[in-house]
Amino acid sequence: MAAQQTPTNRTPLLIPCSYLTTEGNKTGSWRFLRPRYEEKTSPCSAACPAGEDIGRVEMLTAQGSFKEAWETVMMENPFPGVCGRVCYHPCEQQCNRKEFDEPVAIHSLERFLADTASRYELQLSLQKLESKKQKIAIVGSGPSGLAAGYFLTLLGYQADIFEALPEPGGVLRWGIPLYRLPLSILNREIAQIRELGVQIHCGKSISQEFWRGGKSEYDAIFLGCGHSRSVPLKISGEDLAGVKDGLQFLADIRRGEVSALDGTAAVIGGGNTAVDTARSAARFGAKVILIYRRRRQDMPAFAEEVEMALEEGVELWELQTPVNIAAQDGDFVVTLQHMHVIGKDGQRKARVKPDSNKKKKIRVQHLFKAVGTEASETWYEPPKKTRGMLRLSNCVLLHKSREPTLVYGGDLVADIKSVAHAVASGKQAAIALDILFHEGLDAVRPRLQSCLVAEGPSISWETYIGGPRSLRNQRVVRYSDLNTDYFQFAPMMIQPRLLPEERFQSFAEINLKIGASLAIREAERCFNCGLCNQCDNCQLFCPEIAVTRDNNPRGRHINYDYCKGCGLCVVECPRNAMILEEELLCDTS
Amino acid sequence: MRHVLEGSHAVSEAVRLARAQVISAYPITPQTHIVEQLSEYCANGTLNARFLRVESEHSALAALIGAASSGVRTFTATSSQGLALMHELLHWASGARLPIVMAQVNRAMAPGWNIWADQTDSLAQRDTGWVQFYCENGQEVLDTTIQAFRLAEWVNLPVMVNLDAFFLSHTYEPVDVPDQKSVDSFLPPYKPRFQLDLANPCAFNQLAPPNIYMEMRHNIQMAMDEAFTFFEQMEEEFGTILGRRHGAVEAIRCDDAEVILITSGTVTSTSRQVVAKLREKGEKVGLLKIKLFRPFPLNLLRELTKPASKIAVIDRNFSFGASGIFAQEVKAALCNFPGHPPVYGYVAGLGGRDITTEVIEDIYWLTKNSTAPENESSWVGLREVDHAVGQS
Amino acid sequence: MVEIRFHGRGGQGTVMATILLAKAFFRDGYYVQSFPLFGVERRGAPVEAYLRLDQSEILIRTNVYTPDHVVVLDQTLLESIDVTVGLKKGGWILLNRPSLPANLDSFSDYSLAVVDATHIALKNSLGTRTQPIVNTAVMGSLARVLGIPSMAAISEAIREEIPRQPKANIKAAETAYQKVKLVGEIEKNMQI
Repeated sequence: MAAQQTPTNRTPLLIPCSYLTTEGNKTGSWRFLRPRYEEKTSPCSAACPAGEDIGRVEMLTAQGSFKEAWETVMMENPFPGVCGRVCYHPCEQQCNRKEFDEPVAIHSLERFLADTASRYELQLSLQKLESKKQKIAIVGSGPSGLAAGYFLTLLGYQADIFEALPEPGGVLRWGIPLYRLPLSILNREIAQIRELGVQIHCGKSISQEFWRGGKSEYDAIFLGCGHSRSVPLKISGEDLAGVKDGLQFLADIRRGEVSALDGTAAVIGGGNTAVDTARSAARFGAKVILIYRRRRQDMPAFAEEVEMALEEGVELWELQTPVNIAAQDGDFVVTLQHMHVIGKDGQRKARVKPDSNKKKKIRVQHLFKAVGTEASETWYEPPKKTRGMLRLSNCVLLHKSREPTLVYGGDLVADIKSVAHAVASGKQAAIALDILFHEGLDAVRPRLQSCLVAEGPSISWETYIGGPRSLRNQRVVRYSDLNTDYFQFAPMMIQPRLLPEERFQSFAEINLKIGASLAIREAERCFNCGLCNQCDNCQLFCPEIAVTRDNNPRGRHINYDYCKGCGLCVVECPRNAMILEEELLCDTS
Repeated sequence: MRHVLEGSHAVSEAVRLARAQVISAYPITPQTHIVEQLSEYCANGTLNARFLRVESEHSALAALIGAASSGVRTFTATSSQGLALMHELLHWASGARLPIVMAQVNRAMAPGWNIWADQTDSLAQRDTGWVQFYCENGQEVLDTTIQAFRLAEWVNLPVMVNLDAFFLSHTYEPVDVPDQKSVDSFLPPYKPRFQLDLANPCAFNQLAPPNIYMEMRHNIQMAMDEAFTFFEQMEEEFGTILGRRHGAVEAIRCDDAEVILITSGTVTSTSRQVVAKLREKGEKVGLLKIKLFRPFPLNLLRELTKPASKIAVIDRNFSFGASGIFAQEVKAALCNFPGHPPVYGYVAGLGGRDITTEVIEDIYWLTKNSTAPENESSWVGLREVDHAVGQS
Repeated sequence: MVEIRFHGRGGQGTVMATILLAKAFFRDGYYVQSFPLFGVERRGAPVEAYLRLDQSEILIRTNVYTPDHVVVLDQTLLESIDVTVGLKKGGWILLNRPSLPANLDSFSDYSLAVVDATHIALKNSLGTRTQPIVNTAVMGSLARVLGIPSMAAISEAIREEIPRQPKANIKAAETAYQKVKLVGEIEKNMQI
C-alpha cells in the first residue's frame, strides 16, 4: 500500500478567534434596570405579635444551626418553650406556603428549638447594653412583666419584679394545665430571665401607695397584673356554694387541692379557660359538658384545643345559655335557654338571641363558670385619657412629672389576650421607656414606628438595637412575589401526640417532642420569604458572570461594570430577596 | 400622506393597515423595531390584534400556524438565525397552505457573528414553499407587505417580504402611508377556504401516503404558478387604488442595453443612480431588478434580457460550493435558450459590507471589458487578510 | 445633495437628532434620508449617524463617506476620533463645547461653529450633569449654521416626536440658534 501523500498547499483557515479578555467590554453600560439585593419581610414575621424573625429562624434551623436559631427567637421573645406550646400561632395562617401546599409548622419548630436549647443546656449569649442609671419596678410576673424585665435588662436597666403569689409566672403557672405546658419548661425560661439579672420578688403584693407621693426609688413602674377575676354570669344561683370559678379550679389543681370528681361536670363558657377547665375536670374523672351560647366555630378557644377536648370525651352543647342555677340534694340544676342565630357580628361570630321559650334543665354534680376574666383591682387599668398619656399598640404609657412613669401592659390593655401579645407588650414597654429616658416623650411614637415589623403592630427588638435586621425592607412578601419553581410539594409535618386514651389518664404533656431530622425537614419547607439563604441562583443564572461571592455580610455582590440589568437574577431568586429598579439616567428635577 | 418613516416601521404600518388579527414574534436585531411598534399598537388599541409573546422563533411560527388554521389573518417577523430556527415550520406553513405573512430582515448568518445585511438567510429557505419578495425602499416595503396578505390569501401560500438589514430596516425616509379606507378596499377581510371549526370538526395535515403526497406537492407548484399571474392582476388593482406599482421585475433602460445589471434589494436603488450616471457618459447599460424570487419570473427574465450581450448579476448572498444564488437562478432560467447572453456572477456586500456606487461601477466595467466569464462568481473587493488562526 | 455626519456618544440622542432633523427638513420640502452607522449601539460608546437631503428623490443607499458637514455632540470624541475624515473642504464643523479649541490647526481647511449645547441643555433641565441630552440644542445651532431648516420646522418636529419635555427642548433649540458662534473659515495663524 502506498504511503499517504500530505498535500503541501493546504488552504489557510479563517475563523473568528480572539485571544483578548472580554473584560474590556463593560456590559454594565447597557443597563437601564439595576438589580439589587434587598431583603424583605416575611408574612409570618409580620403576623407574629412578638415580631419573631421567623423566616430567618427557619433558615437557621434548616441549616442545623439550632443555637443560632434559638437565639434569634430569644432576641424577640424570651419564651420559645412556652409559646412553642401555647401560642395560637397566627404566623401559620399567614404563611405563604399555604398557597402552595400547607403552611410550615412554625409552632412545632419553635418548641423544638426551645427543647433543644433545654436538652443541651444552651446558654444565652445575647449582649446586654451598657448599664443605665434608671430603675424600673414591674408589678406582676406574668408573661408581660417577665418580658418587660427581660428586655429592660438587656437594654441595661435594673428591673425588679414584684409578684403577690409565692411563685412567678402568673397565668402561665396557674392558668394553663400541665398537659399543655409542663412546669419544667416554664421554670427553665423564668430561670433564664433571672440569670440575665432580673430580680423577682415573690410573695410581695403592691398597692398604689408604692409610688404615690414621690417616695418611689423607681423611675418607672410597669403594671402587668393581668386578669385574674372571673366575670360573673349575672344569673340567679351563680353564687351558690360549690359553684366554682374555672380559673380558680385550674390554680387549685396546681396547688394539689383537687381530688377525684364524680358524676357530671358542666363548664359554662367558650374560651380557652373553659376548655382547659373542661379537659382538666375530665382528667379527674368527671363526665364533662361544655355549654356555650354560640356555635363551635364561634368559640374564642383555639380550634385545636376544642378538637382535642371532644376527642377526650368532653361533650359540647352549642347554642345554650344558663338562665338559672338551683341547688338540689348537693347537685346543681341548671336551666338552659336555647339560643338561635340571627346574623353575624362584625367579624365572623354569630349573633344569637333566645329562641322563644325553649328551655331545658340539666342536673350536674359540679359546675364551673368560665365566661371571661377581668382585672381584680380597678387601678390596675389605665385611667381614661389624661395628660401625658400615650396609648401604644400593646401598652399604655402615662408620663408624670413628679411620680414615676406608669406603663400599663399585658392583658390589662390587650385586645387579644395571648402570651405572644403579652411578650409584645413587655417588649414595647421596655423600648418605649428607653426612648422616653433618652429622647423624651415626643420621640416615643416615631422611634417605635421605625422598628415595626412590616406595617406593625409587631416591633423588632433587633431592629431597635440596630442589628442586621434593621437593614431589611418592611415590605411584606406576597406569594406571587416568590418564584415557586424552585420548591417541591411536601406536606406539613404531623405533630406527634399522645393518643386520646393515653391523655385521659394523666396531665402528661400531649404534644410530643420531635427529633432534629424531622425539624430540619420541616424547616426546609420554609420559603424564607424575602430572605437570602445563599442559594446562589443569582450567581448561577447571571449571563455576564457579574455576581461575585465575597466576604461582605450578604455573601456576594453585583459587579455593575458588567451587570447589564437583564433582571434574570431577580426573576430566578426563589425568595424575592432582590429587587430590580429603574436606573436613574435623566434627572429632570 | 407622506411621513418620514423608518423601514421597519413601514412594515408595522402596513400590518396595521392590513388589520392583522394575530401577531407572534420573537425579537432579533435588526427586526425588533417592526414588532416593537406592532406590540405597542396592540397594547394601545390602534390595532385590534392578539400579540402572542413566545420563547423562540420556532414557537412564533408554530403559534401562527395554529392561529391561521383557525381562519384569521396572521403576521410574524424575523431575521437570520431566527429564520433558520423556523426552518421546519416554514415547510409546515406552506404544506398546510396557510396564508401567513412574514417580514424578513436580511441579515448575515453566524459565525462570525454579524448583524448586518446579507441575503443568504432567506435564500437558504428558497425551497420551503414560501413566496419571496425582495424590496428596495421603505415605500416598496409598505406596499408589498399589504399586497402580501392579498396574495397569500388568494393562493393559500405563505409570503415572505424581505428587506435589507439597516440599509432599509433602520433608514428613515419619506414614505406614503395610505389611508385605511383605500387599503380596506384593496384588501377585504380574510375569508378562509378552510378552517378549524367547532361546528364542523375535522383534522388537517395528517398522513399523506405515496399515492397522494406527490399530487399535493404538485398542487403547491400550481399555486406558485397562480401566484405569479395573480400578482400581476393584483398589482393592477393596487395601482388603480393607490397609484403605485413596483412589478415582479423592473427593467430600467434595458431596451437598448448591451450590459444588463441584475440586482435585488437596496442595491437596486443605488444602481439606479449608477446607471443614470453611466448613461450620461454614453454607456449602454441597463438595470433589471428582481423583486419576486419565488415564484421565479422566468419568462419575464428571458424576455427582458434578450437585447443584452452580457448580463452581470450582483449577489449579496452565496451558496457555498456553487455561486451567488441569483446568478444561479438567472443562468438556470436562460440555459435552454440558445444564444442567450453570458452571465457574469459577482458576489459583493456580504455581512453588511457597503456596496457603494464605485463597487457597482467597477462591476459594470469589469463586465464590459471582459470577453467571457472566467468563473462562476467573482468576489468583489476581497481584502488581504492575515489567516493567523489555528495550526498550519 | 447634502450629506451631514453626526458624531456623539450613545445616550446623548445623536440618532434622534438626525431623525428629527430629517423630519424638519422634510417639512420644509426636502427629500431626506437618515440612518445610524449600523452597529451594536450602547450607552457611552461613540456613535455616528448620517443625514442626506436633496431637492430630488434620494436613491443612494450606502454609508456616507464624504460628508459636506460634520456635527460633533461630544467634544471628548475629538481626542479619540478624527472627525474630519472625508469632510469636504470648506465644510462646516459644528462643535458642542464651551469655547473655541486652543489648537485650530486640524480644522484649517474647514469652517467652524461652536455652541455650548451642554450648558443650554442643563439650563433647560434636559438630562443630568453627567448625561446631558444635547441633541435639540445642537439641532437649533445647525439650523443657524446652514440657514436651513426653518426653526418653525424644527419646533414642529420636536413637538411631534418628543413626548417628554417638548417645551424645554424647543427652548434649547431656540437658545442654541441664538447663541451658536459662527467662526467661519479658519485661516492659518488666526488669532482668537
